Amino acid sequence: MEAIYQYAWLVPVLPLVGAMLVGLGLISFNQVTNRARQLNAVFVVSLLGAAMFLSVALLVSQFQGHAPYIRTLEWAAAGNFHLTMGYTIDHLTALMLVIVTTVAFLVMVYTDGYMAHDPGYVRFYAYLSLFSSSMLGLVVSPNIVQIYIFWELVGMCSYLLVGFWYDRQAAADACQKAFVTNRVGDFGLLLGILGLYWATGSFEFEAIGDRLQILVETGSLSGLLAGLFAILVFLGPVAKSAQFPLHVWLPDAMEGPTPISALIHAATMVAAGVFLIARMYPVFEGIPAAMNVIAFTGAFTAFLGATIAITQNDIKKGLAYSTISQLGYMVMAMGVGAYSAGLFHLMTHAYFKAMLFLGSGSVIHGMEAVVGHDPALAQDMRMMGGLRKFMPITAITFLIGTLAISGIPPFAGFWSKDEILGSAFAANPFLWFVGWATAGITAFYMFRMYFSTFEGKFRGNQSEIRQKLKSAAANTLMSPSPLAPNFGPGAMDTRELAALSDDSHGHGHSEHPHESPRTMTLPLIALAIPSILIGLVGTPYANYFEEFIYPPSETLAEVMEKVAEFDQTEFFIMAGSSVGISLIGITLASLMYLFGKIDPAAIASSIKPLYELSLNKWYFDDIYHRFFVLGSRRLARQVMEVDYRVVDGAVNLTGFFTLISGEGLKYLENGRAQFYALIVFGAVLGLVIVFGVT
Amino acid sequence: MLSTQIPWLTTIILLPLVAALAIPLIPDNQGKTVRWYALGVGIADLILMVYAVWQNYDLQISTFQLAESYPWIPQLGMNWSVAVDGLSLPLVLLTGFITTLSILAAWNVTKKPRLFFALMLMMYSAQIGVFVAQDMLLFFLMWELELVPVYLLISIWGGQNRRYAATKFILYTAAGSIFILVAAFAMAMYGDVVTFDMATLGIKQYPRAFELLVYAALLIAFGVKLPIFPLHTWLPDAHSEASAPVSMILAGVLLKMAGYGLIRMNIEMLPNAHVSFAPILAILGVVNIVYGALTAFAQTNLKRRLAYSSIAHMGFVLIGIASFTELGIGGAVLQMVSHGLIAASLFFLSGVTYERTHTLIMEKMGGMAQAMPKVFALFTAGAMASLALPGMSGFVGELTIFLGITTSDAYNPMFKVVVTLLAAVGVILTPIYLLSMLRQVFYGNENSGIVIEEYLGDAKPREVFIAACLLLPIIGIGMYPKLATQTYDVKTVAVAAQVRQVLPTVIAQKQRSPLYSTALVAPQLAVPESQVLIASE
Repeated sequence: MEAIYQYAWLVPVLPLVGAMLVGLGLISFNQVTNRARQLNAVFVVSLLGAAMFLSVALLVSQFQGHAPYIRTLEWAAAGNFHLTMGYTIDHLTALMLVIVTTVAFLVMVYTDGYMAHDPGYVRFYAYLSLFSSSMLGLVVSPNIVQIYIFWELVGMCSYLLVGFWYDRQAAADACQKAFVTNRVGDFGLLLGILGLYWATGSFEFEAIGDRLQILVETGSLSGLLAGLFAILVFLGPVAKSAQFPLHVWLPDAMEGPTPISALIHAATMVAAGVFLIARMYPVFEGIPAAMNVIAFTGAFTAFLGATIAITQNDIKKGLAYSTISQLGYMVMAMGVGAYSAGLFHLMTHAYFKAMLFLGSGSVIHGMEAVVGHDPALAQDMRMMGGLRKFMPITAITFLIGTLAISGIPPFAGFWSKDEILGSAFAANPFLWFVGWATAGITAFYMFRMYFSTFEGKFRGNQSEIRQKLKSAAANTLMSPSPLAPNFGPGAMDTRELAALSDDSHGHGHSEHPHESPRTMTLPLIALAIPSILIGLVGTPYANYFEEFIYPPSETLAEVMEKVAEFDQTEFFIMAGSSVGISLIGITLASLMYLFGKIDPAAIASSIKPLYELSLNKWYFDDIYHRFFVLGSRRLARQVMEVDYRVVDGAVNLTGFFTLISGEGLKYLENGRAQFYALIVFGAVLGLVIVFGVT
Repeated sequence: MLSTQIPWLTTIILLPLVAALAIPLIPDNQGKTVRWYALGVGIADLILMVYAVWQNYDLQISTFQLAESYPWIPQLGMNWSVAVDGLSLPLVLLTGFITTLSILAAWNVTKKPRLFFALMLMMYSAQIGVFVAQDMLLFFLMWELELVPVYLLISIWGGQNRRYAATKFILYTAAGSIFILVAAFAMAMYGDVVTFDMATLGIKQYPRAFELLVYAALLIAFGVKLPIFPLHTWLPDAHSEASAPVSMILAGVLLKMAGYGLIRMNIEMLPNAHVSFAPILAILGVVNIVYGALTAFAQTNLKRRLAYSSIAHMGFVLIGIASFTELGIGGAVLQMVSHGLIAASLFFLSGVTYERTHTLIMEKMGGMAQAMPKVFALFTAGAMASLALPGMSGFVGELTIFLGITTSDAYNPMFKVVVTLLAAVGVILTPIYLLSMLRQVFYGNENSGIVIEEYLGDAKPREVFIAACLLLPIIGIGMYPKLATQTYDVKTVAVAAQVRQVLPTVIAQKQRSPLYSTALVAPQLAVPESQVLIASE
């Protein structure tokens, strides 16, 4: 058994090798590499497959009770300072390794179908492999600096993948927004790491936690400062896991190809924030203020995401806000001390949300056959409807995912969400209430999505809807926001005209969407299995999950004791109320979008302010644009003015300077430069010699 | 045994210079032979360096090695005295590496190629001379010797405004370097012994006011070169006008001469004054970072934006120098090496872009990734390195400097918090200007207004090779920093120990800055507890 631990470093390294070889091929022998499309894909996928098997072996070994394994080597040193890097395999790592590798593996298989016609097919595989490697490196990190390193690397991969279609302006904006927003979080994380190192002299999670505890208890470090450090560290997860107020990048990140939305922006990278909180749990646990901040941030984000998701028409954007909301649940769970429940939800969510995203990709793939390669049309649910007839596998798996996320037993999401809500109720009934209400909204918007995509009549050929959406898209293209600078008078008309006349052009080659190829449906089916069943490892009757994943501060005996305390009536009350509200949400959605008994437009107009608030994403983008984007631009321009006029002007002694540069050089230029080189050089040499002689 | 008797350093310094003087003898006017000649000399010198170091340099020793000294002007006590230690070594290697690559980058120079390559080789000699000189006057001579080629390289092969930029450059740096001469003479003449030997000057005891004055003079001289706000405005002009190979050297090597000078002279020779000036250096460093980053963001010219980013990055060097810790000073050296590589690669790639578009105004570009995906990929890699992405050298440099300043026990906590916080703001600002640069130049639809030279197309193998040569050590150091740190670690530890030795005595005096902590051990830190914990583990 020891051997698999000694070679565990291969798990992140194998995908890295794949990425490097394919990347080198692309740079050096571009055409040859690009021609061998599926050869590259098979190479990359099989390396990841090997990593997956190793990960499963590690999980099995950990589950059988193998002791945690750490291996490090010195990475950087200066004097007495030593920084080590390496890998650690414990319960949490083993679990995350399996989640990441399985989802990544299935997404890679799916990619073959989804990106089949894309000229960047091979490059996409290289990026995917690089991302997988970084993400796996993150979860095996034995100390916080290494986490930070991979934390940024997954951010860079996300940047590259969101901007994958670099000729699209929206993608270009989105990838920059994602990176910069994440850097704001990393800024906090970096400061937090520095602060904790200053206080405790360590980068190891448990050592930091223990020493911080002692420092605060003995009074040599003020509790306020400790709390501040913890919250700074938490800023990292706020950005990475798209929590309020740094959630704005995630919906825009949907500009990337759908497979990466599933892998990075639903299942793995965004969950890294929750993983970091789990890793840093020894630090957070001892600081109640930080725990409260985490819990309330999570709860508010869950609510915020869900309320925005209600009104989204873009199927991917809707799922993105739903991801924000579900990440909010996980963070809230961490904040109320439900360590295991939060990670349980991370696992179930990874599977069912990856499936939902891949399903949406399958829908988009099908729609593109009808409406052409235009994200404004192919992703808009107003163009869809009735797709169940054309793509049954996608529809069924999407329905499974919808049921799972809505918390209907016995699907996976029910068990994990219920556990979170139960813990939240014990900690603070208000938090429970927010989570409970959000569960209802979740069921509503997810079924809205399902009904308007897969049920009813197919609307993809109605040209008036298409016209409307196209001109709307052209409008937003023209000015992404009313506050954005205008691009001049010419742009306005031509774009709009182009959008209208483009219609015949944009037509796909088919009247109806079709089911996706097998490489795409197989991963969907494969993901459906855990989406249905994986919740069963964490039922309150037999909670294997909690016995495996528990906070580092607790012992297994304590956990067992807690599990044994399980109260059946309490469980039924909690579960009943959350299933109840979900059913209400589903009923409402079916009345509005399936049977057409209630007109959504009428409701929207009757609560117009609330509708507008949701539609405009609570105006976060507008406010941020005005204050941060335009503000920083203005500030930069002002500083530049100062630099140009004041600093440069003053130091320059403007008048004197123009004289020299104008007159002096006019004279100099006529001659031969070689001669002057000699003169200046001679002068310097002469100076030294003159000094030497005297 | 023979190899120890060869005057390695003198050979390394003089080889390019002699080779440059021999260029007029080469019968070739098209520049086809002379560029191979220059490249050959560059590579030969680089190989010579590596060999000399490999054979005769012991990384475990912090003192000078490969030392040579010959009397040059005995009346003045001036010697041709050269040696390397941990501080010089990485920068000498960097010089050889960057200059050789920039000769390769200048492959297409058609205007007066012989003069161009002669000047490049002269610059090569002078830069190495600066880093290995152990005599103040020799240092000054080498420092001046390097100015002339740069001046001519900008004023003859530069862009539209080249004369303005070149004049500004020479006026600033020549005015700055006068202070080095003054400081050198002041220190040499002080006391009984007249000498320019740096080691002897470092041992001399100067009165406090004298030391502060000399320190200030050197700070101005190096401040122009580094550059430090508000003496930086020559840099954007010089960069935006210089051709790409010259920019590579300018950003890659020349700025490091100032950082080197600050450590070699200001810290090592004037440690007492350094204690008084260090907080100012830290503040200036923060100003450089924030001010440089903001100004960079407002620039519309590609090379000016990169130039301001250099200013921001050199701010970290200042903070590291001011930190009084092994980590911080080591980080400063690493940041210099890393910035040398990164800035050289970015300036090189902007030159590659310019050759194809004939403009540096970013608004006029756009969507160029479609026409030149390789340049796009390499540029992205360079920008990522510059914004301190982990796995690349810039991150390690900045991280060690951050750790150095936060763990420094010299400053009071409040000052450290402010410095760290503001420096970390740079962490947010850097990606803003670099990524929006990439977005404006490469992303989006192809800009119809721009004409990409058809015959050039995407990056040629030579260009990919140069960029790859620069990226390889960037990634190598980022992956395993000990590759770079071991070349200087023992030396920076010694430097930190030296300056920390005088710290208590100076702090104990009245001149103590309020920014320093009252006791040398941070009071809040309860160090005993953590040590107990470590012991108990």
